[in-house]
Amino acid sequence: MEKIHTTCVYCGCGCGLFLHVEEGRIVGSSPSPGHPMSRGSLCIKGWLAGDFVGHPERLTHPLLRRGDRAVKATWDEALGLAAKKLKSIQRRFGPQSLGVLTSAKGTNEENYLLMKLARAGLGTNNVDHVARLCHAPTVAGLGSALGSGAMTGSISSLECSDAILVVGSNTTEQHPLVASYILRARSRGAKLIVADPRKTRLAELADLWLSPRSGTDVVWINSLLNVIVEQDLIDRQFIEERTAGFEETALSLREQTPDKAEEISGIARTDLARAAAIFGKAERAAIVYAMGVTQHAQGTDIVQALANLALATGNMGREGTGIYPLRGHQNVQGACDMGALPTVFSGYQPLSSPAVRAKFETAWGTALSAEPGLTALEMLWAAETGSLKGLIVVGENPALSYPDSFRVLKALKELELLLVCDIFPNETTALADVVLPAACFAEKEGTFTSTERRVQLIRKAVNPPGEARAEWEWICELMRLMGLQADYASPASIMAEMALLTPSYSGIAYERLGLAGLQWPCPSKDHPGTGILHVDCFSQGRARLRPVYYAQPPEIPDSDYPFILNTGRSLYHFHTGTMTRRTSLLDREIPAPFVDINPEDARILGLREGMRVMVETRRGRIAAEAHLVDRLPRGNLFLPIHFTEAPANALTCQSIDPVSKIAELKVSAARLERVMP
Amino acid sequence: MKAFLAKEGLIPLLEALSQQMEIIAPLATESCAVFSSWRGQIMDLQNNPLAPPTEFLLPHREILFRYVQESGRYTFKEEEIPPRLLFAIRPCDLHAIALLDKIFGSQPIDQAYFRRRRATALVVLNCTTWGRECFCASLGAGPEARDPCDLQLTDIGDGYLCQAETPAGILILKAASDLLQPAKLEHDQEKARLLQMARETMPRDGSCQQMRQAMKRADWEDLGRECLGCGGCSFVCPVCHCFNIIDSGIPDGERLRCRDSCLLSGFSRLAGGANPRRTSGQRLKHWYQDKFEDIPKITGLPGCVGCGRCHLVCPAPINRADLKVESREAKG
Repeated sequence: MEKIHTTCVYCGCGCGLFLHVEEGRIVGSSPSPGHPMSRGSLCIKGWLAGDFVGHPERLTHPLLRRGDRAVKATWDEALGLAAKKLKSIQRRFGPQSLGVLTSAKGTNEENYLLMKLARAGLGTNNVDHVARLCHAPTVAGLGSALGSGAMTGSISSLECSDAILVVGSNTTEQHPLVASYILRARSRGAKLIVADPRKTRLAELADLWLSPRSGTDVVWINSLLNVIVEQDLIDRQFIEERTAGFEETALSLREQTPDKAEEISGIARTDLARAAAIFGKAERAAIVYAMGVTQHAQGTDIVQALANLALATGNMGREGTGIYPLRGHQNVQGACDMGALPTVFSGYQPLSSPAVRAKFETAWGTALSAEPGLTALEMLWAAETGSLKGLIVVGENPALSYPDSFRVLKALKELELLLVCDIFPNETTALADVVLPAACFAEKEGTFTSTERRVQLIRKAVNPPGEARAEWEWICELMRLMGLQADYASPASIMAEMALLTPSYSGIAYERLGLAGLQWPCPSKDHPGTGILHVDCFSQGRARLRPVYYAQPPEIPDSDYPFILNTGRSLYHFHTGTMTRRTSLLDREIPAPFVDINPEDARILGLREGMRVMVETRRGRIAAEAHLVDRLPRGNLFLPIHFTEAPANALTCQSIDPVSKIAELKVSAARLERVMP
Repeated sequence: MKAFLAKEGLIPLLEALSQQMEIIAPLATESCAVFSSWRGQIMDLQNNPLAPPTEFLLPHREILFRYVQESGRYTFKEEEIPPRLLFAIRPCDLHAIALLDKIFGSQPIDQAYFRRRRATALVVLNCTTWGRECFCASLGAGPEARDPCDLQLTDIGDGYLCQAETPAGILILKAASDLLQPAKLEHDQEKARLLQMARETMPRDGSCQQMRQAMKRADWEDLGRECLGCGGCSFVCPVCHCFNIIDSGIPDGERLRCRDSCLLSGFSRLAGGANPRRTSGQRLKHWYQDKFEDIPKITGLPGCVGCGRCHLVCPAPINRADLKVESREAKG
């Protein structure tokens, strides 16, 4: 038996683990005590991380669509056909008719290559990935406020906070190892404030639970800062020396009184006062947030409001302080870093800068378009109207994971070429013209970047099944077919090219990535990496505070649709369930779709635990089992996103945040009725 | 049979043995010691690996048999079990194996377990030093091996005192008889001295009696609120042995026995959806109860060997010390 040290494939925590390998099969996994973040612990998904790898339903051959059937093909046939169609579409409709959705599950190297394929090979900046639907507001909001849209400290730094404000994050379930550090801080005596409409496990453990009405975060955060300013709990020296925009922001806060906040958000003014005292008086206060902040039509503004709070109180650049956006996928940070975004190259180097473009043009030996590309949802809208004709989707399942599935499916069906690469057949591969079988995280080499900017190695433990290949191998092949040079011997050589072109990754190289990896920015080969950002200065000079104003969510409950529908994840499943629903213990924990409802609401509707109900919004309806949970406030419903038989996204809407283009996934108006057996 | 093996003789002995069987030993990695196939790699004989060696007797994921369907008839094929030597396991883990032998050996005998067990030779390394969470002495599981094994080693400074307890153990030593020297009285005395020292300096809390008392006072719901439900404590426990059976593949495939955990709600959930252990506090209590009440009733031995691994993996972290206060809140 061999034990191969690698990085977990599920969430952004980036835990280290061993895969146990016997006779070419993964037979188990165990934690890594020497890992700097996970320190010998794992969550239940990590303990079972290798279980799906050898599943008999893995895709093992390329498939081509013939009529309504998918037939086996060779790699040469599949890639040849893809290249032919891509060229034909490019010739007939121009490069803007093509797009690439890269993968937050793929490696950095694969994301870099796909970004290069899109820009240099297809000639389009239509490249994006699932971050658009998770932390695009963070990249935009923290990017403009602080100069970098990433977690400002290391996860372990939370251990020494004196106060932690957790907003819209069910941390014990979605990022259990981050929760572990929060709990350690708590047992050390740190004060914990949790803001979430649901009384999550962490809210139960908190010193103070704030339960805002969904979608009203800007109001209560502004008001919280207002109280802090009024009580003079701000850090004047920090504000004067390191920030801009405070006066204007403080002025805008005057109207954001606790009374107004109580009226709109439902948070009692006394609770807000307590929160202000805890957060404002703490020596080291940290803000942790996740999808409950970002997946709103006002996502970028909520992120800015949190940044205002951290900056005005001087909680930045020190151990135990800062802003901790928790990223969902194990490499969604890396996919963003690699420039799988329509407006930036790797390392967030803007497309709009002629100097940056010139650098990449020289390196890649081709002219590059300066026209900003389309975001993920915009690409699907373009497909709907027929202006986007060809789409490459790698390791993503938009048919289930994107809002308003009905529209998404219709758009995907309109495409002339849909190329999908994945490890399991799913709702999106079912629509594809070309399906490519991928190697999973245990079957290839590469790097992932965790939510704390830690670039870490993954190692090959077993061979891919059948003819499945690591994505970087077929991407190179497709690049060559599209007339690009792609002579990479290994992922390490892809990293070497990327590092040369990307200042924040310049010092990162495979031989330097031991057990602990390296945290970017790592500008040179002798740089030890950076745990805490913004210590002495911000990359843009001064951090920017900016007034933000509350806007009502695009859809609010009315008499037809009286409930607020919230969507999210469960501890035991990951996203569209392609991996976790094929892991027997995880599937057994939550085997079927459910909808959480407050017991009082259930009583009025005549519902009991386990009854089948129909959840309906203006977009669609799905059936699920009612779970009566008192942690959910009245008037709210919560639906997990994992189930193809009850796709939550059949119900969500595509209203988007004007800045970051994220969709409103946390607030839809819904109604509920019992399904008579 | 007793003999003295100088430290430089250890590798040649293992090399000779590796001609005959697969050797599993605690290998040094950049992260920690792990039990893995030894092919000359550097070993870590100071630290007990976090993943216990019982996975070589009760794998996390084991193929019980393969099934193949042909013209409506199924044929079944069992896996070959290769001979193995577990080298340098610790007395606590040996004690756990003795417990598993009792549990799987009660009627009906678990054949899959014993097929592996019979093919496995056990070489124990007594503990002259102990890890930060060890408390085996309180439970009679260490620091000296008292349960049957094939060969017992004690590091007495410049070499190992080797005590073969079975014919297999004697054969293991014979694999390199030219490296052995006769054991002397002072070797025995040195062994006794070192183990006595380890026994005396090790934490003494966590005996069965103390734990039962603490469990009566514990606020389980309060502890359960902090439990993150990872199941880690049960996955690293060398005594935990619950499993689930799944068939993977249709029409041909494999019947798998996979490790399971009573910390998961699905473990105790009934077909209709009712769950006698609904909250994580109830499940945590059950886990402790099984170790300190139920297994002792069935086997006459505590179901905990004091290896401390559950404390090391817990992300909450919850450990036995937490049981001894009414609640974590009270502790302040």
